Amino acid sequence: MKKVISILLATALTASMLAGCGGKSDEPAAQAPAEGGGQSEVPAEAGEEPAEPAAGGTIKVAAIETAYGSAMWQEVCDAFTAETGIAVELITDKNLEDVIGSSMKAGDFPDVIHLATGREDALTETFIKDQNIVEITDVLSMTVPGEDKKVSDKIAGGFTETALTNPYGDGKTYLAPMFYSPCGLFYNAGLFEEKGWTVPATWDEMWELGDKAKAEGISLFTYPTTGYFDAFFYALMYSVGGADFFNKATNYEEGIWDTEEAKTCFDIVAKLASYTEPTTPAQANDQDFTKNQQLVLDNKALFMPNGTWIVGEMAEAPRAEGFEWGMTALPAVTAGGDSYSYTWFEQAWIPSGAANQDAAKQFIAFLYSDIACEIFATKGDSPAIQPVLGIADKLDGDNKMFYAIYDNGAKAAMGNFAAFSPIEGLDNRTVWFDPVNSLVSGTMTEEQWIEGIKSASDQMRANLLQ
Amino acid sequence: MKKRRCGLHRRFFKRRSQSCAAIDRKGVMAMTKRSGRSRFIVLCLAAAVILFTVFMIIPTLNIFRMSLFVRSAYSTTEEFVWLQNFTRLMADSNFIRSMQNTILLIVVVTVVTFGLALIFAAILSREKIKGQNFFRIIFYIPNILSVVVISAIFSAIYDTNNGTLNSLLSFFKGDTVAILWKGESMVMVSLIIAMVWQAIGYYMVMYMASMASVPQSLYESASLDGAGRLTQFFQITLPLIWTNIRTTLTFFIISTINMAFLFVKAMTSGGPNGASEVALSYMYKQAYTNSTYGYGMAIGVMVFLFSFGLSALVNAVTKREPLEF
Repeated sequence: MKKVISILLATALTASMLAGCGGKSDEPAAQAPAEGGGQSEVPAEAGEEPAEPAAGGTIKVAAIETAYGSAMWQEVCDAFTAETGIAVELITDKNLEDVIGSSMKAGDFPDVIHLATGREDALTETFIKDQNIVEITDVLSMTVPGEDKKVSDKIAGGFTETALTNPYGDGKTYLAPMFYSPCGLFYNAGLFEEKGWTVPATWDEMWELGDKAKAEGISLFTYPTTGYFDAFFYALMYSVGGADFFNKATNYEEGIWDTEEAKTCFDIVAKLASYTEPTTPAQANDQDFTKNQQLVLDNKALFMPNGTWIVGEMAEAPRAEGFEWGMTALPAVTAGGDSYSYTWFEQAWIPSGAANQDAAKQFIAFLYSDIACEIFATKGDSPAIQPVLGIADKLDGDNKMFYAIYDNGAKAAMGNFAAFSPIEGLDNRTVWFDPVNSLVSGTMTEEQWIEGIKSASDQMRANLLQ
Repeated sequence: MKKRRCGLHRRFFKRRSQSCAAIDRKGVMAMTKRSGRSRFIVLCLAAAVILFTVFMIIPTLNIFRMSLFVRSAYSTTEEFVWLQNFTRLMADSNFIRSMQNTILLIVVVTVVTFGLALIFAAILSREKIKGQNFFRIIFYIPNILSVVVISAIFSAIYDTNNGTLNSLLSFFKGDTVAILWKGESMVMVSLIIAMVWQAIGYYMVMYMASMASVPQSLYESASLDGAGRLTQFFQITLPLIWTNIRTTLTFFIISTINMAFLFVKAMTSGGPNGASEVALSYMYKQAYTNSTYGYGMAIGVMVFLFSFGLSALVNAVTKREPLEF
């Protein structure tokens, strides 16, 4: 009897230990979306009746939670289900890559992923490099669910012609543009008024202002992390050499970094490094970057490169008396020259491993509907503005001023470095932008920085994805 | 067949006190018992063996295999490239810097943590100090905090303008001190301080436990012979807890390699400009954010071999005849 019990116990132990490694259930994880709350719903508890699967099936949507918050995503998903009958299982998280990463490695992909490029984990870039994204050119000619307009008629001009949406330069669209935001230099307009300073229109005026501010114990410049230099550097390349230089540079054309235009860009960044608030590099990491943003709010630094989300992100932060947000495009290189503001936007895309690609395409088309645009613009923690025609007219407050930047003379800069197949130990951020930390600390010279860029650029050119 | 052999038994061993039939029964019972026992042992071990094979051996072998391929984390296509990933590693200055940082952390954090843990343990267990338990708890608390909490605490300590450390230094110096603790030149020192602070309590408690088992009589006779506190520590305490030190040293070296990754990820993201990158954080970046999974696995293999080798070396170097008391 004892033996039988022992064997039973041992078997139970073995079985219970292995039970945890069981494969995924074949049951669909479908459930009706819940009211409010951004997180994915927990499947029905044991004993309860399983939720009725939606008539049109279920898609899984994974969206990054940024300064815009996640509540708006749930509302958009609900509106989509109401319109199409397709249920949506929503996952939102600030560290979305960590949440969906492991299941994707196991082959379980969300149907739609909304993320931005330029993030630390570079998940979107990884999928671009792997050519693991479904082409969505046909979505542009689809009719927006619930409306009679085509998607391409709604998206504002230029947004689906950049390297960010068409990464392989073949005229085919792979990523849908989402939530655009003009980027530029943010400052305390109240301080400028108080001191009687004017916002510089050229880089020469910028350096003059830097000297004036230094005399008052204020640094000219700071930056949250070096990741914010992408938008800055792109706009700078446009303002120095126009679209032609930008396209050549972002395609790593041979000898491009030896040109006069490139030299001007490098000189400006290097000079700006010498005007940067000295504690900036020590705080330019994912944990302390708000301390750098706080420098502007505390009148310790004048300008920082950022996007319109900064207002929501620092809403609770203490600030100097009379603080008022101001935003300007990058100064022109010469008097009367063009000044540019980079149009930063996020992307929604369908991974090749997605199981419900047709429904996913409908979802992406729906993201440009009037209903979705309205929800994104009004129900987020700060307004998320879809790149659709006529939306800027509906804005108010700070955002009206930010989004009017293009009406006030600044030109729009769009684009990105061209995608290349993965190179061991080499990526854009470490080559172009991370060394700015060392330029500010004085541990690297401008020449060393340029040398690094040239040698990396040669390798990237050789690995361009066509 | 069995019956015939029993017959022979009976004929030749008549003087046996037990009957053959009884032996048979016992033998069969013993055999059944033995096989039942082995079955039980096999069943008991099976769970551990299966789990160990599935979750340890196969993945480890898989890492070795994947290090010979060019592939990405989310894609199934792969290309066999022999040892190309390893030859690239040898020429990758960022990898070399990350290994240097790892070794620096292992050496300095281990030496400082073990030195201080031993001293504090000796003081708390051998000396009569008021509030011994209070100190024991205070030293142990960092160990139960998660790395994320620790990084938040140190973010406040290391803040250049309002941080505890700079404020304290300014107070003693009488002038404003603005050390950039997370700047390029000091970032490794900052990591070392945080890692020592986190680990010290755990090892101190471990040594206090083994010091408590050293017989008091040894110290008494040593002091009769005129041995001072220091001599007692080096001649009695250290040799008698040596086995414990040896084991914890191997543990600690391995855990430092792992903890360094967590601290870097939570405190500095490897910056500024890669100055605080360690082997595992660099491996993570290469494998997951640079789409070079095979290359990342090659770094994994190097770290695996390095920690294996280092543990073997430490084990060999610290080998002593175990002393008994």
